[in-house]
Amino acid sequence: MSTLEIKDLHVSIEGKNILKGVNLTMKTGEIHAIMGPNGTGKSTLSEAIMGHPAYKVTQGEVLLNGENILGLPVDERARAGLFLAMQYPAEIPGVTNAEFIRGAINARRPEDDALSIRSFLKQLDETMSVLDMTEEMADRYLNEGFSGGEKKRNEILQLMMIKPKFAILDEIDSGLDIDALKVVSRGVNKMRGPEFGSLIITHYQRLLNYIVPDVVHVMMGGRIVKQGGPELAKRLEDEGYAGLRDELGLDIKLVDEDA
Amino acid sequence: MTVEFENYPEIKSYAKSVTEPKWFTDIRVKALESQPKLELPNFEKIRYHRWPIQLKEKLKKVSSNAELLDDLPIEDAKHLVVQLGQDTLQKSGLTTFEEQGVVICDWQEALEKHSGLVQKYFMQKAIKFDEDLLTAQHVANLTSGLFIYVPKNTVVKEPLTTYFVQDSTQKNDYVHHVILVVDSNSEFSYLENLMTVGSEKTTANIIVEVIAQADSHIKFASVDRLGANTTTYLNRRGYLERNSKIDWSMGMMNDGNIVGDFDSDLVGDGAHSEVKVVAISTGKQVQGIDTRVTNIGRHTIGHILQHGVILSRSTLTFNGIGHIIKGAKGADAQQESRVLMLSTKAKGDANPILLIDDNDVTAGHAASVGRVNQEQLYYLMSRGLPKKVAERLVIRGFLGPVLAAIPSKVIEEQLKVTIERKLVDGQKDE
Ligand SMILES: Nc1ncnc2c1ncn2[C@@H]1O[C@H](COP(=O)(O)OP(=O)(O)O)[C@@H](O)[C@H]1O
Ligand SMILES: [Mg+2]
Repeated sequence: MSTLEIKDLHVSIEGKNILKGVNLTMKTGEIHAIMGPNGTGKSTLSEAIMGHPAYKVTQGEVLLNGENILGLPVDERARAGLFLAMQYPAEIPGVTNAEFIRGAINARRPEDDALSIRSFLKQLDETMSVLDMTEEMADRYLNEGFSGGEKKRNEILQLMMIKPKFAILDEIDSGLDIDALKVVSRGVNKMRGPEFGSLIITHYQRLLNYIVPDVVHVMMGGRIVKQGGPELAKRLEDEGYAGLRDELGLDIKLVDEDA
Repeated sequence: MTVEFENYPEIKSYAKSVTEPKWFTDIRVKALESQPKLELPNFEKIRYHRWPIQLKEKLKKVSSNAELLDDLPIEDAKHLVVQLGQDTLQKSGLTTFEEQGVVICDWQEALEKHSGLVQKYFMQKAIKFDEDLLTAQHVANLTSGLFIYVPKNTVVKEPLTTYFVQDSTQKNDYVHHVILVVDSNSEFSYLENLMTVGSEKTTANIIVEVIAQADSHIKFASVDRLGANTTTYLNRRGYLERNSKIDWSMGMMNDGNIVGDFDSDLVGDGAHSEVKVVAISTGKQVQGIDTRVTNIGRHTIGHILQHGVILSRSTLTFNGIGHIIKGAKGADAQQESRVLMLSTKAKGDANPILLIDDNDVTAGHAASVGRVNQEQLYYLMSRGLPKKVAERLVIRGFLGPVLAAIPSKVIEEQLKVTIERKLVDGQKDE
């Protein structure tokens, strides 16, 4: 079992304080969800954990099995067991999806024990069929010209191939129709097990019907303001973020205040 | 004009030692005598004048130790010529070519057996011996090379591969000349490898004349890996007659300072030159690449595509010159030069130069010097790839459009391997 602890995390971007003390602890075997209005800092939290250079941690720590990882470069955090399915994955021309994924797997193995092409291709084939991906996606350049939905599937494909300890999924549901949402959820659910934990970031409750979380955190104004079980997500869906904000007496402006 | 050999004992004794024809020794002397009034050529933004690029060593015949080749990455190509310094060490798989009437001779043999043919082309069409100080020094000091002649109406199916290895275990100038003549309506494919063995500080002056006669098609590829202590002037010049085409694919993977002077003269109507260059500069080296296409004939097409990557404290300059001469109606000149910087201390330059003297033409250019996309690097690293591996992948994507446009898959693959090796070595100084 592994643990991921976020302690009093403060993060700023371009001098603007976005996260103002986030605390969250999770273990492998658990699925946690973070919900929150747009612009509240959910992506900032995930990028700061992964180590995007634009996001500056000004206070607090992130511990993986008790070790602070904030001093590590991005690739070492990844090899230590973290994975981030990004909201906006980069496009890399000239590098095929398959060779990239194989490279990522082999980066975690000793040089003299690289995964054979055969067994790699077998795994890739099986995983792609779980995600209803066509074979040609393996030979296309990484994310180049992929539709929004294809990019999301491709993030989950990488997740399933790389098998990290903890995966943060940043709005993996955005822009997906219901069928695609089911496919992506099927992939994540297949990963569930004692050696895998996931932090699922979403704006909507819908995804959580398919990937049922153990814990739901609500984030507003750069902090986690409430925690609960799956029923908390349902309640947010019914009442909106404004309702919860007003109940908690928070002075936060919602960007997309609707009801 | 009569030529006085007596004043040039070195040339005289060298000429005797290799028994070269009189016309050739004459032109050596003329080239030598023309030097006082000649200057180094100028290339926009390439400052090489103080480099040890001028030839200084005395003209002399030297031989090399054949065992030096043992450790070099020389591919066992099907049709192969290997030269080390002034010696030809291997010629294999050439029978099928000879049966088609193709002439492939090293320099001395060409002067002996095909003197008339060499005389017809040597510094006559593509370049003049007194064009500038470097060409004149070249002619006066030339000691090795290869002559290839493909007769009319001959389609040679398989490529010829050459390795020209400069011997820098000795302190000699390397003065090397290649002539490739493809006669009317013929096709030929050629891959040239320049390499260095040894690490003495030396100067190389290399001229390659490629003559495409009417309706011929030449695929010219090169992978240049000259050593870190070799200062080089490398001139590759194409002369294209009516409806001929040259596809140039050049990989500049040298480790030392070099001026690459790559020109195509589209002389005949409908002539077409496609120039693809990839270059990688590492360490402290300077690579200056001046690629010019001159549209002289009507409906000629000249396209330049060059992408380069710079690491450490190195420099890379790409000049792209599209020159359309008055009267070249319907000509097309297009170019794209891009440089990717991996280090803040590296210097890159991409200069598009269009000189257009006719109205009825099409022309365009694109040029850029930029840094590695940080989002791409971050994405790759977030999957566990170490930074240097991630950088190499981004670079591959950047060079991809040029590599993909190379007409031969074999050469594309070979270039990819060479690029990877040069990048891995170059990243060690980062
Ligand atoms: N690269 C950036 N540059 C400047 N501001 C940013 C950047 N990324 C995010 N922000 C700002 O930080 C805040 C939080 O953004 P984000 O973490 O993306 O929110 P969420 O994912 O919850 O929608 C927003 O106000 C957003 O405008
Ligand atoms: Mg977000």
